[in-house]
Amino acid sequence: MHYYESSMITTKDGLICQVYGNEHPKGRILVKPKYIPTDKISSDALPYRFISGRKMNRLDLWIDKDKLKEYLTAFTKEYPDYVFKSEVHDKSPLFFAVPEEDIEKAYSPNKGLAELMSIPIKDLDDHLRALVEFVSFLLKSGIKLKDLGITYSTLMGHYSPNMSDINIVVYGKEKFWELMKFLEKNKDKDLKWKTYEEWENFYKKRNRHMIHKKEIYIENMYRKKSEGFFKDTLFVIFAVENEDETWFKWGEEGYKQVGVAKFEGLVTDNKNSVVRPGCYEISDTKFVDGDESCRNLQISKIVFYSRDYCMLAYPDEKIEASGVIEEVTPKSGERYYRLVIGYFDSYLTERRDEEYIKVIED
Amino acid sequence: MNYEVRTICKINSIKMTYYHEAGLIDSTDDIQFKVYSSTHPKGFIIAKPKYVPADLLSLTGLKKRFLFSKCMFRFNLFNKKEVVEKNLDAIRSKFPYYIYECKKHQNWFLGVPEKKVKKFYDTKKGLQELLKVPEEDLDDYLKAVRKLVDILVEAGIPTENLGISHSTLLGNYTPGESDIDMLIFGMDNGWKAIKHLEKYKNPSLKWKSKEDWATYYQKRVVSKVYTEEEYVANMVRKKDDGFIDGNVFSLFCIENKDESWYDWEAQHEPLGTVKINAKVKDAYHSIVRPGYYELEETKILEGHEDVPIKRIVTWARPFSLQAKENERIEACGLLEKVKSKEGEFYQVVIGYFDTYTTDRGEKEYLKALIS
Repeated sequence: MHYYESSMITTKDGLICQVYGNEHPKGRILVKPKYIPTDKISSDALPYRFISGRKMNRLDLWIDKDKLKEYLTAFTKEYPDYVFKSEVHDKSPLFFAVPEEDIEKAYSPNKGLAELMSIPIKDLDDHLRALVEFVSFLLKSGIKLKDLGITYSTLMGHYSPNMSDINIVVYGKEKFWELMKFLEKNKDKDLKWKTYEEWENFYKKRNRHMIHKKEIYIENMYRKKSEGFFKDTLFVIFAVENEDETWFKWGEEGYKQVGVAKFEGLVTDNKNSVVRPGCYEISDTKFVDGDESCRNLQISKIVFYSRDYCMLAYPDEKIEASGVIEEVTPKSGERYYRLVIGYFDSYLTERRDEEYIKVIED
Repeated sequence: MNYEVRTICKINSIKMTYYHEAGLIDSTDDIQFKVYSSTHPKGFIIAKPKYVPADLLSLTGLKKRFLFSKCMFRFNLFNKKEVVEKNLDAIRSKFPYYIYECKKHQNWFLGVPEKKVKKFYDTKKGLQELLKVPEEDLDDYLKAVRKLVDILVEAGIPTENLGISHSTLLGNYTPGESDIDMLIFGMDNGWKAIKHLEKYKNPSLKWKSKEDWATYYQKRVVSKVYTEEEYVANMVRKKDDGFIDGNVFSLFCIENKDESWYDWEAQHEPLGTVKINAKVKDAYHSIVRPGYYELEETKILEGHEDVPIKRIVTWARPFSLQAKENERIEACGLLEKVKSKEGEFYQVVIGYFDTYTTDRGEKEYLKALIS
């Protein structure tokens, strides 16, 4: 079975997890635990939610670092089976993974949407009605219903009308890019894009303002058509890779950590920047700062785990990125170097505020 | 602590699940059932299908809902009897084991064979979990649930004797639309709650007024046997359904296991539909489902020769708390001769499942003669 990024799984012991990638080690599914029961571990630093009859913590990677570290240390102790040590990394970053046998239920975004679309519109609440109407609009692009899905709280049924987002999944990168073109060119009375001011507010959150030059950042975000409002409900569209189009295969490459550094380079390809983990192909890279061990390296790929960096840059644009430098040894092909942003352990150190990708002016 | 979805009662060191009224069961076929009683025949749990996956059965005349990532029929018995019969036929032909033919009642019941139970939701544990969530992390709907709990605690009911069910428990509620279904365990506690609410004044707590009930009567005539005045008088004094901060709430009183009264071993001989007049001797058990009113000074008005009626048994929640002690009532239902270890007696039953598919359903009622 192919587990798609951003689909949802629940574990037999009650965790609600978001699938975190389209490639997984054998027998396990890489995830981000999204809601964690509070009977074994809990933290007042994390928000609480009442879901499925349980008090849950919602994992937020942007809380106070020490408290996050404390919580994840407790998590590792109480849920050792969900912490994964990668054998393809010389020094494994922090991964969360659910063994297949521990899955209680895997929620399928496209099956869920197909079920939803079969319900008479009169039987739907405002949130679901907006979603169905948005999907009907997207179908005008020529995309098929089987290539779309819904996820997160809408899929699981614990959404709050007027509060929860609409999260749409597009199966296949090509289809996603085509849909983005459709959204660039087509209008609907209920479709609105984030204003400059709304992106400015977004920019001020987390560490974005410390990294990006405001005008460039907002301009780059403004051109994204994966996020907007339909009937005043925020929607986000995610691309997920079909099994035959993942840009890497788990186990086909080995990764050796070289150091931490900042590089700049020219984007040559961004087609894989729409997924998680995503990737920009780059050339003509130049070491800017960081560990001396990285100074003379040429970086071929910028890899990221945060959706913030999806579709940020386009071919021929110059970007600067800061993260972990890894030497990549494929089972077949030539060795190369990549820069990785957003491994879970980066949120536990100062790297959380130091890792980024930004478009820079020539 | 290991989270367990079943309410486990340790009786003589044997673990038994207490399938109580208003609890929720997921069957192995992924049909969700609402438990309809706190006592059951051996191996079978009396329950009503609540949500049926649309890809499992072809049902008619029902609303659909998107729940648990699936398109589900919201199963409803309050429909034309031909429609209900058709839907029951669909269940009977594909899942005959959800219908229990009871020889001792010469009747059938809906429910789930115990071996087909996939999950029974723990309503008490659910409430305890909710109470642990800081107030600031709750939405307005869950804050209203907490407020209702506070009111019941003020009535002297410990939170350990309370539970939540249905969408409140599962988290698929819609604020402002979904009911808050609160369970009160123990009949004494149930009565404490009702008595407290009869006197309690709070700006958050509202009841349907006489005018509201009159409008309701005019728009949706529940029964042709009530006049508007009778209906309003019967309904306006009930305190098991109301509004808390704009959300509808319903109180479900659940017998503790040691308070069970229903005898599934008794022989029930149906004798026909009767109309009776009687005086309520004891209404203590009218707060649960199935519940009953103990009667005296009874008179059969129609349908059978006059015999003394010991009690009226109610399987339908609208007839709970309908009459008080010493009030005269009028009722129509199925006359049964019961042979149990207590002896032989007659009773009238209202709201068996078969009333949703027969003419008797339209005739059955219970009203206090108080208007």
